[in-house]
Amino acid sequence: MLWKGQEKTKPNIPTASMGDIAFLIIIFFMTSTVFTRDKGIKMLLPEKTDLEAIVKVVPENIVMITINPSGEINVKSSNLDRYLTSQQYDLVREIIEAKLRERDTLLVVSVRTSPDAPYRCMIGILDQIKLARVRVADGREVEANKISLIPIQEQP
Amino acid sequence: MRKSILRRSGQTPDIPTASTADVAFLLILFFMVTTVFRATALNLSIRLPEAKSTQRILIRHLTAYIWADATGRIYIDDNLVPIEMVNPKISQKIWGKPDLLTILNIDQNLSYGTIDRLLDQLKQARAYRITFATRFKGER
Repeated sequence: MLWKGQEKTKPNIPTASMGDIAFLIIIFFMTSTVFTRDKGIKMLLPEKTDLEAIVKVVPENIVMITINPSGEINVKSSNLDRYLTSQQYDLVREIIEAKLRERDTLLVVSVRTSPDAPYRCMIGILDQIKLARVRVADGREVEANKISLIPIQEQP
Repeated sequence: MRKSILRRSGQTPDIPTASTADVAFLLILFFMVTTVFRATALNLSIRLPEAKSTQRILIRHLTAYIWADATGRIYIDDNLVPIEMVNPKISQKIWGKPDLLTILNIDQNLSYGTIDRLLDQLKQARAYRITFATRFKGER
C-alpha cells in the first residue's frame, strides 16, 4: 500500500559482490583439490577353478621365472636355463621378446616367487615382462599377455 | 585521433563485468566436479615399487583401494583389516559391480608370501581386476 506522495521503488538484490563470493569459493576448491593420480601395472587374476578345468600348456610355450628370497632369478624354458642377479632384470625383457618371436601369442610366462622374496623383485620382473613387445612378420605387435603368478610352495 | 573520438562520443571507457560471476561459477563447477577429497590412510608409510611399464589409471569410479605396509598390516578404507577379512570386505564392495578395479598399494619391501595370501582373498571375493600401484622409474 502506498501513502500519498510516496514514490514507488523497485526491490532489488545487490549482485555487486557475487563475483567476490564466487572467487572465494574457487580459491577454496583450488586449495582443497587433490587430483588423483592412480597408476600402476594392471593384471587380471585367474578365476578359482576346479582341477578338471586346468588347461595343460605345451612345455615349449612356457617360460618359467623363479625368484629366490634374495632376488636372484632363474629363467627356464625348453631351450634355456639361465641365472640372473637382481641387477640383471633388464635381460628378462630380451629373453621374453626372443620367445615372443618364436611362440607368438601362445607364450605363457609363469612367475614363481619365493614367499620370502620382497614384493619389489616380483614387480621388477613383472615390469620387464610387460615391457616386452615385438612386431612379428605379419606386422602385428605381440606382447606377453598370459602371465601367471605362482608362489613357490614351501617344502614340508 | 583517439582522444577526439572519446571527446566526441562523451563516454568513459569501461570493462564489462556483468559476466564475471558467470565465469567464476563455471570455474567453481569445474573444481567441484573434479575435486576428490583425499580419502587415504595418510599415516601409513608406504614406499611403492618402481616400474617402467607404469600406466595411469583413468577409471576414477569403480575402484577399491587396499593398502599394505612393510610389516604386513592391511588397511581398507582407513581401517586395519586382518588378511582373512579382505574377502568379506571386498565382496561387499564388489556386490553388483563386477568390474570393480582393486588398486593394491603395497610397500616394496613386503614379503611375497603375504601378497600371495592377499591375492587369494581377492580371488575368493571375485575381484579379478587388480592393479599393482607403482611409481614411474625415477619418480620420488
